[in-house]
Amino acid sequence: MDEGKPAVSRRNFLAAAAASGAAVVATPPGAGQAAAQGAAGLAKSAPTSAPSHAQMEAEIGKPIKVAATMAEPGGRPGSDYMVDVLRALDIDYVATNPASSCRGLHESINNYAMNKKPELLTAMHEEVATAMAHGYAKVSGKPMGLLFHGTVGIQHAVMAFYNAWCDRVPMLVMSGNHIDAAHRPPGIPTTHAAQDPLSIVRDFTKWDDQPGSLQAAVESMMRAHKIAMTPPYGPVCISLDAHLQEGSAPASQIRIPKMTKVSPAQGNSEDVRDAARMLVAAQNPVIVVDRAARTHKFQGLLVELAELLGAGVVDQLGRQNFPSRHPLNQTSRARGVAAAADVLLGLELNDFWGIVNSYSDVAEPKQGRRAKEGAKLISINSRDLFLKANYQDFQRFQDVDLAMAADAEATLPALIEAVKSAMTPEARAAAAKRGAALGSAVAKQVERLIGVDATYAWDASPISTARLSAELWAVIKNEDWALVSRDVRLSNWPHRLWNFDKPYQYIGDSGGAGQGYGMGAAIGAALAHREHGRFVVNLQGDGDLMYGPGALWSAVHHKIPLMTVMHNNRAYHQEVMHVQRVGNWRDRGVERAHIGTTIENPHVDFATLARSMGMQGIGPIADPAELGPALRRAAQIVKAGEPVMVDVVSQPR
Amino acid sequence: MKSMIPALVIGLACLSASVSSARADAARGKEIYTKVGCYQCHGYDGQGGNTGPRLAPEPMELDALKTFIRNASATAMPPYSANLVSDGDVADIHAYLASVRKPPAGKDIPLLNNP
Repeated sequence: MDEGKPAVSRRNFLAAAAASGAAVVATPPGAGQAAAQGAAGLAKSAPTSAPSHAQMEAEIGKPIKVAATMAEPGGRPGSDYMVDVLRALDIDYVATNPASSCRGLHESINNYAMNKKPELLTAMHEEVATAMAHGYAKVSGKPMGLLFHGTVGIQHAVMAFYNAWCDRVPMLVMSGNHIDAAHRPPGIPTTHAAQDPLSIVRDFTKWDDQPGSLQAAVESMMRAHKIAMTPPYGPVCISLDAHLQEGSAPASQIRIPKMTKVSPAQGNSEDVRDAARMLVAAQNPVIVVDRAARTHKFQGLLVELAELLGAGVVDQLGRQNFPSRHPLNQTSRARGVAAAADVLLGLELNDFWGIVNSYSDVAEPKQGRRAKEGAKLISINSRDLFLKANYQDFQRFQDVDLAMAADAEATLPALIEAVKSAMTPEARAAAAKRGAALGSAVAKQVERLIGVDATYAWDASPISTARLSAELWAVIKNEDWALVSRDVRLSNWPHRLWNFDKPYQYIGDSGGAGQGYGMGAAIGAALAHREHGRFVVNLQGDGDLMYGPGALWSAVHHKIPLMTVMHNNRAYHQEVMHVQRVGNWRDRGVERAHIGTTIENPHVDFATLARSMGMQGIGPIADPAELGPALRRAAQIVKAGEPVMVDVVSQPR
Repeated sequence: MKSMIPALVIGLACLSASVSSARADAARGKEIYTKVGCYQCHGYDGQGGNTGPRLAPEPMELDALKTFIRNASATAMPPYSANLVSDGDVADIHAYLASVRKPPAGKDIPLLNNP
């Protein structure tokens, strides 16, 4: 207050406070004190002489809108600073399912950020919101924010965090809490409070924190982002206590650190040279690649390396790593090609053991070496830089001849140069000859796949996955398209029939194989594609969607163009096969394998489900002759900027 | 002794196959094919996929099919004993697979000539 001006009268002051709704002088017992204490000296306590809420109402004769916590005069709400951090981190979106422990930050996004950078995305389940962030990050290359209730909200999201962890996907999770037992609201907020709210996700997140002051909070958010975006990428979580969100502090007391990008680790030069020598000297080098493409640069680098070496590439389809029609793409011949290699280069493999060895899921499981005895193994893998103990997603240990704990994409330029240096004229000639032979072999196989295999069951109902994929290709091939789901459950027909040659056309799968990923991830990915005007396709599993059908509403609400084609095989089909297998081993048959595994009686009407949430729904389509027209109609809806669902009654695989 | 059992099973299977095939019923075979879950990995029309190879049209010889069904334990396919699928059932399944219409050639399907 300016000391040169007369003091404001008590009545005028109260009236002004009431009119503005500012929470400057009074708070309910407890909450304000918690805010003041929690701000840890940043927000001063309310004046002790301040009138109570009841006194104010009595004096002015009408109810007063008073925020639950105090904001220091001249200070800014704590959660506004959090928004500043999100902006400094270039976070465009925050997906949320609303919750009281996050109300401070939620309000700041609405009214301070005006719902622009970040923009809130409303999800109907935290698992769906997390899946949205998962898909978004794999297209945009940067994290989405997530804003969840502490305890129950985090509990809802846990499986989806595990997917992101396994899939090496960054996301910035912010959750609320009421840590101060002496001042937090009783009842539900206390039920939802926790001493260590993020312990439940610590085994499969890269880092978490529960900062005790606003300054610590902004630093923690910066650190979290830095960790999430340092390969191997991964989810990070910050518990932002309600008292930090709802407290306040003068700008002079809060410093927001600048964001600095961290260089990914690169293999050291000596090991890179050794790897190059081994590859150049090989008679039959093979490159196996999984979650390697972090950016759009990777695909071009891998093409250059493979062509230099005349090496076959086996793509495990964790990302868009290699063009599907490149002559060196040997994915359709993976098993034989890898087994014949004398040098195997693994790039960001999640399971190198599974490449080198076989395992048969039979009554008495069998395992043995698949790779050639004596084959040299080279690994470049950022996962070697960061592992945790409990969950076994790191797979079985595989000893190798040369291991670089490094990011594959960051290491490839040096490896390419080292290979060029090591190449002799003889090696170049051998590489060219080898490459031509590989190209010829795969061309014959593709000819058989398309000219023969795809034709079987062409007119069948339920519709074959080959027919479905071919019909869809005809609709999208002249668009700037992207597939945002995995196609393994369609027997990989899209990867056999479609031309995946652009680095954004494919994003891999869930990582942890946790169901409930598909629709949310597709929406997040489509959101990231939207600014580029791409035509986005999601091949959706029926069982997967039913984990979180509310995702459909989010796509409509946020106007995200997306063609979802329901691969409706009316079952958790993988589990049908598992139950059948055990029933046969035990000689008890499969007649009851459908119990607990199929989604029949009644059938789910997905088109109607979509329509119930404002999405245009087409189907169910069981006649293959009707499929093409249905897809073309759906394409027009997507081009008009809307999501659409086409329910296709399909063969199981 | 242990190694003799598969051989004995194969032999018996071959012996009975020729008997069963004489009265094979394709319509019944289709029902059994679905009922005992062949479709789960091989598709309703036996077209195959990444979970199981193609079975139709032009299936393998009945004897070979029966031998494989009974002794599939070394592969991803679970074995079917005679307790689960009788020789007559296998013959009917074979008849069904043989009845599946041959598809048009790929070159005659415009959608498969669509680069």
